[in-house]
Amino acid sequence: MPDIWGIAAIFAKLTLYFGVVGSTGLVIILAAFPNLVLPLCRRIKAKAVVLAGLAIFAAVFGFMLRGAALTGGADGMTDPEMLGLLWQTPVGDVLVYRVVGVAILIAGMFIPRFGTWVSLAGGTIALWSFAKIGHVPDLQQTGIRLLLLLHLLGIAFWIGILGPLRNLSRLPEHLDDAALLGHRFGQAAAVIVPVLILAGLLMAWLLLGDLRALLSTGYGQTLLIKLVLVGAILILAAANKLRFVPAMQAGDSKAAQHLARSIEIETAVILVVLAATATLTSVQTLPN
Amino acid sequence: MNKLTTFALMTVLATSAFAHSPVDHTTPENGATITEVPPEISFNFANDIRLTRVDMHHQDHPSVRLDLGDQTSFDRVFTLPLEGMGKGTYRIEWRGLGSDGHAMQGEFSFTVE
Repeated sequence: MPDIWGIAAIFAKLTLYFGVVGSTGLVIILAAFPNLVLPLCRRIKAKAVVLAGLAIFAAVFGFMLRGAALTGGADGMTDPEMLGLLWQTPVGDVLVYRVVGVAILIAGMFIPRFGTWVSLAGGTIALWSFAKIGHVPDLQQTGIRLLLLLHLLGIAFWIGILGPLRNLSRLPEHLDDAALLGHRFGQAAAVIVPVLILAGLLMAWLLLGDLRALLSTGYGQTLLIKLVLVGAILILAAANKLRFVPAMQAGDSKAAQHLARSIEIETAVILVVLAATATLTSVQTLPN
Repeated sequence: MNKLTTFALMTVLATSAFAHSPVDHTTPENGATITEVPPEISFNFANDIRLTRVDMHHQDHPSVRLDLGDQTSFDRVFTLPLEGMGKGTYRIEWRGLGSDGHAMQGEFSFTVE
């Protein structure tokens, strides 16, 4: 069991994932389906800014928590010597990527016309920070880093659709738009999700090296929990795509309510998947 | 739903094994029994590390923070002077920073009879 600083680091990382991936995801949805989400445009932008603010807070707080981990006490969070030490390591570099990237994302939300693309660039910079530090980048292969970035962009796209699709499904006057958005996302997901899974499995194999480590080590067990939960999400997503969205396209407004409920459950499970990932990347040691 | 999420979060957090402690060996060795209090202790790490804090615990005395002196750079070998507290078990707790930015921690103990 990690100590108090380890647990706090997991929650800071979880908030960071939620903030960066959530805000970038919303921006991707704005860029990919601008007309379909038009009724929600303002709301989506406001949410993206809030999530981005949360991401900056979590990035800075997580950095300070690392200072506390170095001294074993809260004094380390503001200890100039400890924070200065961290600043010189890759931890300092990624803090810059995250804060700058997310700040660009926020700025883009206030720029008319091309703002979404500015935000998308900012979000990608922030996501790239995750490919700069951690177990996967330790493998020292640019291809793997790009794979991780691809994995993160895919996840952002998926997480990004959840809020707008749920909100649109709750508006009876926009049933057609919601159905079309669900349908279009389903089409994109049919390509993106297999790539997402393949990228994830490939990275897991590169990190673990041996299937037995999946059961015999803490890292493997946490990864296994993550995989089982992802499996559950896939079942929910399949139900959305194959059952609820076609019913909505046929004009069934009850199906829209079911879809909204299904998305809420999916969001809760995704939150746990992100928590498992935060544990993997914060406190778990690789088997070898 | 909230209960389910909380339960799953706790399950995730409770999975074992944590912290990176790539300490190769220490002097005295972990678990050693010796007859005299050593004047100093040393750590040998597998990779470069910057020690940030070392605490000594002894059953009969309050914990003491050991002085790192001028050993404030990344290195593999650290030697710290030890203040003798008589017989008993000494537990040394250390924290440090790996050059990759990972916080590390660990501990070892030895007994003076």
